[in-house]
Amino acid sequence: MNLQEKIRILAAAAKYDVSCSSSGSDRANQPGGIGSAAKAGICHSFADDGRCISLLKILYSNHCIYDCAYCVNRHSNDIQRTTFTVKELVDLTIGFYRRNYIEGLFLSSGVINNPDFTMERLVRVARELRQIHRFNGYIHLKTIPGGSSRLVKEAALYADRLSVNIEIPSEGNLKMLAPEKDYPSVLSPMSLIKEGIVQYKEERRIYRHTPLFAPAGQSTQLIIGATPDSDRQILSLASNLYATQNLKRVYYSGYNPTNLYDSRLPAITVPPLKRENRLYQSDWLMRFYQFSVDEIVNDAHPDLDLSVDPKLSYALRNPHIFPIDVNSADHHMLLRIPGVGPKSAKMILAARRFRKLNSQHLRRIGVVMKRAQYFITCHELPTATIQELQPERVRSMLTMDLRKQSLPNAHQLSLW
Amino acid sequence: MLEYLYDGTFAGLLTAIFHAFRRKEYPDVILRPQGQRLLFATTHTVETDDVMAQRVLNGIERYGGKTTCEQLLHAFLSQSNNVEILILQYARELFFQKRPIMADLGNSFVLQIHKLDRRVLREVQRVLMFIRFERSADGIYFAPFAPKYDVLPLAVGHFKHRFADQQWAIYDTLRDYGFHYHGKRVEQITINAPAFSRDSGKLSVEMEHENEDDYREMWRVYFRSIAISERLNPTLQRNFMPKRFWKYLTEKKV
Repeated sequence: MNLQEKIRILAAAAKYDVSCSSSGSDRANQPGGIGSAAKAGICHSFADDGRCISLLKILYSNHCIYDCAYCVNRHSNDIQRTTFTVKELVDLTIGFYRRNYIEGLFLSSGVINNPDFTMERLVRVARELRQIHRFNGYIHLKTIPGGSSRLVKEAALYADRLSVNIEIPSEGNLKMLAPEKDYPSVLSPMSLIKEGIVQYKEERRIYRHTPLFAPAGQSTQLIIGATPDSDRQILSLASNLYATQNLKRVYYSGYNPTNLYDSRLPAITVPPLKRENRLYQSDWLMRFYQFSVDEIVNDAHPDLDLSVDPKLSYALRNPHIFPIDVNSADHHMLLRIPGVGPKSAKMILAARRFRKLNSQHLRRIGVVMKRAQYFITCHELPTATIQELQPERVRSMLTMDLRKQSLPNAHQLSLW
Repeated sequence: MLEYLYDGTFAGLLTAIFHAFRRKEYPDVILRPQGQRLLFATTHTVETDDVMAQRVLNGIERYGGKTTCEQLLHAFLSQSNNVEILILQYARELFFQKRPIMADLGNSFVLQIHKLDRRVLREVQRVLMFIRFERSADGIYFAPFAPKYDVLPLAVGHFKHRFADQQWAIYDTLRDYGFHYHGKRVEQITINAPAFSRDSGKLSVEMEHENEDDYREMWRVYFRSIAISERLNPTLQRNFMPKRFWKYLTEKKV
């Protein structure tokens, strides 16, 4: 099989892994070496589905001994199988990198023979890149569940980021869909890496030349909509992982219908894109807006409201904290205003030291006044806020616009 | 009406600001050589003077810090209409207040400068994202590009650091100049008889390295293969990767 054909098969096999980020590491180039990592990451292209292409995201092999029902590479699936050689993959990465196609390599694999055998191949690719080619670009390695701790630690020495995918948000459902897997096999490498990072940071304080240990941390992925887990379960798990495992990112992947005959999985034709989007918004609220998971979903509201974003939904459920005065509220409260993001919150804090801000200023700064107007007071005559209008009214006014947009050619009068 | 004419360089603009302060007058427009002249205006032509320019720059740095200098340079590079007057206003306010005013975003010209700065930096970012090198027969990795603003100089450092062990050249086809890195230093170049097509950015066949077509084709295969067909979203793709970049993108050009 020629190389092009292998790329076609193994890239297609890797595409359901949603992570693509090349951020979090600022590895510098060394004399005689090639490559560097940019702290904020760089996207190099955008595929036809609109997702960014930053890394060469590819599998080492799509042979797999496991039979996870949700996975396109499961043992029982009738697809063409192939495997790279280490040299092919290393040369391909360097060749693409030199042409500025990519930021680096994101290498994962189906499990060949046993976890250690597979993990050893992945580590060898990373080692050759780093040591023989003196490659200093970004490397993201997938940790194979069940891989030995020695290999996981070695991987962390070469990789910028490591990840272990949990995939199914509750253990019972994971057992049902992937009988060979369990939570401990996924979580133990995760804890191992976490401890390694903590230890690295301590040693680094004493000795500056401590070798890097997964400088961009680790991430994981959850599949949405393949099992009946509620948004509350998913977000609690994510929040828990951020707190206990120090994860950089949790990715949510709307389940793509990759298994059409298994009755354990829902029969859908399109992935649950809206729900996925709302989960990402909630994730952002937890990471950048100082929200706790209970404020987004709780016993009374175990699932996210698909018609409005989670922050607006929170505001409508908690009208008593509004309106917020943008000229005096602290950072934490500014971040709770629908239509104000972390950037505009920062800009408001800076700008109001010079003068009191009115709605004109806020609009120019970039606050989405369409939403924010019902939740703020600023330096001008008071307008009707959520207190006067009641939450139901605000909700209907804000969703009415959306409905107008989604109606095909509504009220567009013809000129002739 | 009072108009100033300057030579279109940043140093020229700084000299013009110096003149405005020395002559205690406030021009209505500061024009580049190709700018639209006013009909009934008194004209004052500014000779670029590096000493005067440096004094203005020092003043800006003293009160606003290095970041303000950079911000003003970036805003200048946007070549937006009337950006010269904005920069003059900014400098006046800065010299009057004698403290950084960068954060005073309630002030309309501070905010405009802020936005222009971000617009130009975004274009720099896009150079880093969308440059595509092609290997030539003599081993130089070559990339033509057509950025909206004159930002190549701001992007060169990144490539010099990253591709320190390979020879490369980046060429701005709109402004007809570029940079060549030959292993030690980056030098500015102008190509008189280009060995590449300005429309497609393709090197002519005899100039191209023999393996180049393989890599191009492999990248295209990868690009097609990585997209999920159930989630096609061309609008989103175009938002992130505007069409004006496509002609030099290996995966998009035909």
